[in-house]
Amino acid sequence: MIAGRALLARVTPLLACCGLLAVWQAAAIALHNDSFPTAVDAIRAIPSILGDKDALINIMASLRRMAIGFTVAVAVSIPLGLLMGRSRFVASFFNPLLMVIYPVPKAALMPIIMLWLGVGDLSKTLVIFLGVSLPVIYHSFAGAKAVEEKMLWSGAAMGLSAAQRLMRIVLPAALPEILTGCRTGLVLALITMITSEMIARQSGAGNILFNALDMGEYDTVFAMIIIVGAMGIGLDALFERIRARLVRWSEPQFDIPLSFS
Amino acid sequence: MAAVRARKPATAMIEIDHVSQVFQTSARQDHLALSDISLTIEDGAFVSILGPSGCGKSTLLYIVGGFVRPTKGAARMKGKTISGPGPDRGPVFQEFALFPWKSVLGNVMYGPRQQGVRHADAEAQSRALLEMVGLKGFENFYPKELSGGMKQRVALARTLAYHPEVLLMDEPFGALDAHTRTRLQNDLLNIWERDRKTVLFVTHSVEESVFLSDKVVMMTRSPGRIRQVIDIDLPRPRRRSELLLDPRYQKYVVDIERMFDDSGENELPP
Repeated sequence: MIAGRALLARVTPLLACCGLLAVWQAAAIALHNDSFPTAVDAIRAIPSILGDKDALINIMASLRRMAIGFTVAVAVSIPLGLLMGRSRFVASFFNPLLMVIYPVPKAALMPIIMLWLGVGDLSKTLVIFLGVSLPVIYHSFAGAKAVEEKMLWSGAAMGLSAAQRLMRIVLPAALPEILTGCRTGLVLALITMITSEMIARQSGAGNILFNALDMGEYDTVFAMIIIVGAMGIGLDALFERIRARLVRWSEPQFDIPLSFS
Repeated sequence: MAAVRARKPATAMIEIDHVSQVFQTSARQDHLALSDISLTIEDGAFVSILGPSGCGKSTLLYIVGGFVRPTKGAARMKGKTISGPGPDRGPVFQEFALFPWKSVLGNVMYGPRQQGVRHADAEAQSRALLEMVGLKGFENFYPKELSGGMKQRVALARTLAYHPEVLLMDEPFGALDAHTRTRLQNDLLNIWERDRKTVLFVTHSVEESVFLSDKVVMMTRSPGRIRQVIDIDLPRPRRRSELLLDPRYQKYVVDIERMFDDSGENELPP
């Protein structure tokens, strides 16, 4: 029975996917519209994209920008968020700035950034950086703020300096919250990656998608949507695995799996 | 035993010198939490600070710990003004404040490792301490997997591990059920009677303060003032079963409770 349940838990996400594809297939057949290919047609178009060298180069370029943007954003945002959480001065300086930037769709800044930095990698990576930074800063901030004062006092009594307390108490104590922010950041990285390529058409996965749209190759459009979606699921599952390993000590033991991990 | 019980000459370990503490409330009003407290705690004494909640007794402990700076006056340890936390004063909090990402052993080893004790030595000492507090076999558990009483045992071992000269205990058993509380009181006394560290123990339980202490400092509700200092002249080592039947113990408890009743200290503020 236990094994049966475990099996069910593993198969359920797969069933959900199949269900979605079935609804898509049925809707496409019912609507019978050129711009809405069936699921089967879209899936059939995938191998030709993945087999094409140019397309692969484009996708790899996207992923590279995303990796750089994400990594730099995380490296900058975690220390900033932690400092904001522990210092009222730092928080009151950066909070208004972040409040202004937060609701602005980062892709909306793309045209301006393109004017300054051109249509190349730098602009797109910067937009990804901006998209990832805010949730990571926000969650690091919240996590650092929630660290129990008494835990820091205990560390201070052991002789830890302020800097040591930040690195060796605040950082690990806030890690579950920080990683929640990073997970949101990862998804946002993928989204800003595609939207930046939609605006600055030059290379990348988004470029393939929107070029196909321009040329009316709807099979390719939907195939790319599936590929991008699969990339998101894959990255998220990978991240979730790393996250779970890092914060095994923290509270929630029965997390609702949001990914195929 | 006789050697242990022979008292060292009474030297002042902690001196609290005309300490007052003012807090700003959220309504931007000044709240006088402690008013002109002076108190001397002798080396090797077990002193309880007893008072109703909100009398500033924990604040007083935090000032001695160096976690809170007094608005007026100063606290001194061995004649030196306390300006911040240090490993000579080890806190044990009601909230345990364990490091949840560290195992039980990792928590206890943290202090010695910070002090530069070699890993193997720190581990050996920590294992011995964990055995002393009754947690042998739980070294590799994470704090979240422990009950409240066990967590507080870890916290006590973690603090003892870096050999503070003074233990600062902030209602350490306040969050525990009655049974666990009793067991931990007994164990604390047993541990304390081995090396007689100076202990400053904050509580709102009259029985607890009489059972554990050499001296009970009674405080009034806000502003916190010292109402009376009572020497508890009961033989040590103390056994709970004997003490509860001892008329002297009973008298201390009743007298102290009566003093609080007379002043209306147990009433809620208007």
